[in-house]
Amino acid sequence: MSMGTDVAAAQLQVLNLSKHYHGVAVVDNVSLTVAPGEFVALLGPSGAGKTTLFRCVAALTPLDGGTVVVNRRELHTLRGAQLCAARRDIGVIFQQFNLVRRLTALHNVLAGRLGYVPTWRVLLRRFPAADRQLALACLDWVGLLGHAYQRADRLSGGQQQRVAIARVLAQQSRFILADEPVASLDPETAESVLDTLRSIARERGIAVLCSLHQVDLATRFADRILGMRQGRLLLDLPTAQLSAVHRNLLYAAAAPEAQSMQQRSTPMPFGVL
Amino acid sequence: MKSAPIYQEPATSWRGPRQRRRLAVVLLVLLFYGVSLHLAQVSPQKLLTGLPKMAGWMMKAWPPSTNELDILLLRAAETVAMAAIGTTLATILALFVCIFATRNLTPSRLLFYPMRWLLNILRGVDSFVFALLFVAAVGLGPFAGVLGVGLHTWGSMAKLYAEAIETVEPGPLEAVTMAGATRPQVVSYALLPDVLPSLASVTLFFWEFNIRASTVLGVVGAGGIGQELKNSMDLLDFPRLFTVLLIILVMVTAIDQLSAWLRGRLV
Repeated sequence: MSMGTDVAAAQLQVLNLSKHYHGVAVVDNVSLTVAPGEFVALLGPSGAGKTTLFRCVAALTPLDGGTVVVNRRELHTLRGAQLCAARRDIGVIFQQFNLVRRLTALHNVLAGRLGYVPTWRVLLRRFPAADRQLALACLDWVGLLGHAYQRADRLSGGQQQRVAIARVLAQQSRFILADEPVASLDPETAESVLDTLRSIARERGIAVLCSLHQVDLATRFADRILGMRQGRLLLDLPTAQLSAVHRNLLYAAAAPEAQSMQQRSTPMPFGVL
Repeated sequence: MKSAPIYQEPATSWRGPRQRRRLAVVLLVLLFYGVSLHLAQVSPQKLLTGLPKMAGWMMKAWPPSTNELDILLLRAAETVAMAAIGTTLATILALFVCIFATRNLTPSRLLFYPMRWLLNILRGVDSFVFALLFVAAVGLGPFAGVLGVGLHTWGSMAKLYAEAIETVEPGPLEAVTMAGATRPQVVSYALLPDVLPSLASVTLFFWEFNIRASTVLGVVGAGGIGQELKNSMDLLDFPRLFTVLLIILVMVTAIDQLSAWLRGRLV
């Protein structure tokens, strides 16, 4: 996979994106591109601005500066019906899965078709046969066909995240944004979810931008690695070039609280253990 | 191993500003209760002299009269019907407006405040007061009661609906929004399934509450069993009064049971 992403071919192009909260720059002048079929990991400690960046890219939060271009459309200039239509091109996977808990797995996957279906069909829960077939195929692809008619809140965390992936597949977006998709999962489930995301990129030519906080997972699954710290993008490298120097750049002395926990200066109070 | 450190906590004083504020609050509460007892003309002596009078009535009330049972039962059915229609009317109206009164999902800030004011006004005026007004407008009978119950419950219910919607998790709504769904689609597909149990619970509560509230609407001429309650009291017909009270008790208990059963099924 080439690192020099051709801007014209890019699914996602972010240019000089900035976002402030109360005068503090949470995302500071970030530019990046993701090409079709490319799996890009975004690394960075907690509070680096990864989630804010993603919310800005998804147009869930307004920008303070810069542009976001998805599929040749400048997202933040769109309103109303145009914005709804443009959002179909961005599939989002969340850390907390964000399924509608009281709907079945199948109906959650069908949620990915909402942008293509007239409102009366949504109100009556009457999806066209083709959409239902597509949704079932997506559930099959993530290995959950047998759970199609189960309520989402009855599924395990890993299964819920797979339903969320099936929802994004049913949406048929060309670009997937995954915000810490494995942070709430156990290590084995995390690997299988990332593996699924990588195959989506490889087999379907979809651009995937995925934030992670485990460096080893990023190096194993990603084609390219971006690194963020204190709102700024510090790294943009092919995975093979990532070295210990780069890791230190992102994580060294990043979390003073974590350090003080390790170098405990007082003994455990009696009876705690 | 190091020895455990001594932790210094900030000193507290009995005469600090916090303590003084606490004392002021206690004094204000005592003052409030003193004034209220006086205004409410609370008098234990009056209660003591009044109790034997009530006991006398109760002696005279036995056995309860049964010769007008058919008309009394009809009036009881009127009460249930009045509460049911009024609550249903309120439910429909509340469902339509509650989204406008939510902080998180209102389509426009310009609609949020006027809607909240309207609902507060409706909620602030009791069904009893509305019924009194509607008896003057549409005449005696249960229809005035339906309108009274409906309007007051509309305000109360929409407010509780809005509060239920405000506590909903934003995540699934955002996920569905990112699938390109329009606002009505988001509300119907992601919001409604999530809040339906709370909305059903609120609705059942008001149905139950309105049946109890409707038993007295007859006092202002708005139909139902309350009318017979007032008539019997005016005529000092205690056996009949006793029958009316028994019917109310049985009716309210039965509805409470039914509603508890429904809640178990729905929520």
